[in-house]
Amino acid sequence: MPSTQTPPIAGTAIDPPGVRPAIDDAAIEVVTPQTLHARCEALRAGGYAMLLDLGAVDYLGREPRFEVVYHLLKMPNLRVRLRCGVKDGEHVPTVSDIWKNADWAEREVFDLFGIVFDGHPDLRRIQMPHDWEGHPLRKDYPLRGPARERSPRPAFGLKSNVQAGTPPTGRTLEALQEQVKKAREQ
Amino acid sequence: MSLSPTPLTPEIVSHEGNAMVLSMGPQHPSTHGVLQIMLEIEGESVIKAEPEIGYLHTGIEKNMENLFWSHGQTNAERMDYLAPSSNALCYVLAVEQLLGITGEIPERAKHIRVLNAELTRIASHCVWLGTHAIDLGAISVFFYCFDLRENILDLQEAAGGARMHPNYLRVGGVNGDLPAGYLERVDALISKFPGRMKELRGLLQANPIFQDRTIDVGILSADEATQWGVTGPALRGSGVAYDVRKAFPYSGYEQYTFDVPTRTEGDAYARFLVRLDEMEESIKIVAQAREKLRTAGPYAIDDPKIFAPPKETIALSMEALIHHFKIVSESFRVPPGDVYQSVEGPRGELGYYIVSNGENRPYRVRTRPASLYNLQALKGIAPGNLIADLVVMIGSLDPVFGEVDR
Amino acid sequence: MEIGPGQFLLARLDDVARWAQSSSVWPLTMGLACCAIEMMTVTSAEYDIARLGSEVFRSSPRQADLMIVSGRVAQKMAPVVKRLYDQMADPKWVISMGACASSGGVFDNYAVVQGVDTIIPVDVYVPGCPPTPDGLLYAVNLIQQQIREGGRGGILARS
Repeated sequence: MPSTQTPPIAGTAIDPPGVRPAIDDAAIEVVTPQTLHARCEALRAGGYAMLLDLGAVDYLGREPRFEVVYHLLKMPNLRVRLRCGVKDGEHVPTVSDIWKNADWAEREVFDLFGIVFDGHPDLRRIQMPHDWEGHPLRKDYPLRGPARERSPRPAFGLKSNVQAGTPPTGRTLEALQEQVKKAREQ
Repeated sequence: MSLSPTPLTPEIVSHEGNAMVLSMGPQHPSTHGVLQIMLEIEGESVIKAEPEIGYLHTGIEKNMENLFWSHGQTNAERMDYLAPSSNALCYVLAVEQLLGITGEIPERAKHIRVLNAELTRIASHCVWLGTHAIDLGAISVFFYCFDLRENILDLQEAAGGARMHPNYLRVGGVNGDLPAGYLERVDALISKFPGRMKELRGLLQANPIFQDRTIDVGILSADEATQWGVTGPALRGSGVAYDVRKAFPYSGYEQYTFDVPTRTEGDAYARFLVRLDEMEESIKIVAQAREKLRTAGPYAIDDPKIFAPPKETIALSMEALIHHFKIVSESFRVPPGDVYQSVEGPRGELGYYIVSNGENRPYRVRTRPASLYNLQALKGIAPGNLIADLVVMIGSLDPVFGEVDR
Repeated sequence: MEIGPGQFLLARLDDVARWAQSSSVWPLTMGLACCAIEMMTVTSAEYDIARLGSEVFRSSPRQADLMIVSGRVAQKMAPVVKRLYDQMADPKWVISMGACASSGGVFDNYAVVQGVDTIIPVDVYVPGCPPTPDGLLYAVNLIQQQIREGGRGGILARS
């Protein structure tokens, strides 16, 4: 089905966090849904008392497709980022028993991405109406919604149809070349 | 479009005894926006409060995936609409981190950004105080606060062009140097500010009715606040001195001298005092920024591939024209990667987790919404209080629904 | 001319009713998003909508004449807006304040209703993102003009 949300074009990174530049914003760890809960409990016991945020990203075209990202804070200024790769249809254990504020954040991820959190006390839609169909922030969900997708009204404000004509240079080119190298090594 | 409201499933409504279910909102004068709280009450006291959000869900995060990098701050500004420059600052800082130009932003641009961020913090606290007080019946305070806010909106209009969403902070710097007369107007605001604060404090701080309504109401302990992910004045009112400007300084904040007011009581009155003290700290930062802005300098980086050259040069230089054309028609590419950048907004830690895949538009912009986590704490502090206290609690947590729902 | 006791003033009922209605248009508190803040600013001292007759903003739709849809209308909020409009007693008027309420604004996506006039009839549209309070005052002036000229919603409602 044609979509106003164009998928990433050739010449773009499939796994951006894997080729990220050296920015010192948090200590990054990669976990799986199986190791997530234990790692979170260990971090909580180690002083990471606040779950700053819990969000998801849809890397359509990558395996695993989704990534649920947890940002943790240990006062005064230590941050940890947990990246949990989630396959399409896979369930993730809830962390709302470790940090209470995961409640609404996980509901939002379920609402907008369709990722189910096992053990969540009240997993239902939070942003969209209760009977909405589809998960809007997925990459294969059209921006304007399925009802208006074929509307003849032009989308002047949307720039997803404007590809970057200039070829990548500089750091962008280096990162993409590094990605190609990694793919060839595997 | 569904015409049926959210059904009252057992998860929302699980009462026993004499409890009545009441929907407070989504249209309500005291919910500070479109919030629906499913209340289970027995008489006037609340047994359970389950906020229902989503009545302002705008799909901003998905919208930003379809805008150029250079346009993202326009949508970001509309999230926490009381402090637009704060959101824009967080977004542009995150994009600059991905571009790798954080160290190249000129000093003057950094100071202008700090000035705007603190002015917008004061403006946001003015709205908070005005609406919080008017919910409790102190209608005059509303007029005093909004009059003070007018000064700041005039400044934002002078710099950026619009009162509320000025779109002044851009990736690479700011959109043009400060206009003539701007710094003199900032001086005028700095000189009249102490008098205004004295008036506001005089109206409410020792007012026995206000104290009766807010002292010991909505007590949030430090542990609970951390558990609920509360940040900002609500967290500092409970004794935890966490401020992103001190913990993870950005945009030159390490050069400024300011305190982080903290209280230990954790009730609505403590949060009120913290925010008033914060307004006074903010004006100190504004005064320091104003001093630093005496020295002239560039207002944006000198990279024409990221920040368009000044408009006047288009007629004179072919390269400037080409760069302008490229940036306007297809913007710049950002190297692939992900970054989490946070700022101290008036409501707490506002963060953006931005993922780029090398294109000319963001791949994913995830917001760390300060108000969402602050509002969620309402579930913990509401039970056992009166409905009237609920209004005080919502006011003291200060949610903005553009940020909660995005 | 001296106005002494025992004199009559004659006018048409329509004129008197419209003069009364246009001088006391009370809006409903329908603040949705950023435009709501500018709507609150229009009640403040510098812009002062009370001098145009909108002395109070009523929270109950039964008591309000004017619905100022200020802000983006999300999918979840749309049935609420419609219900509130239906609950308002005749005569009633609607101002669609801002770009988002008029047409969806900058948000051409799944979550925002592209113009509140797809749900309820609108009398005056105010452009801007957000409109300045002066713009909203002008909109209220236009509503008053519409009332005085006998548009939709007069005391004897004409279809």
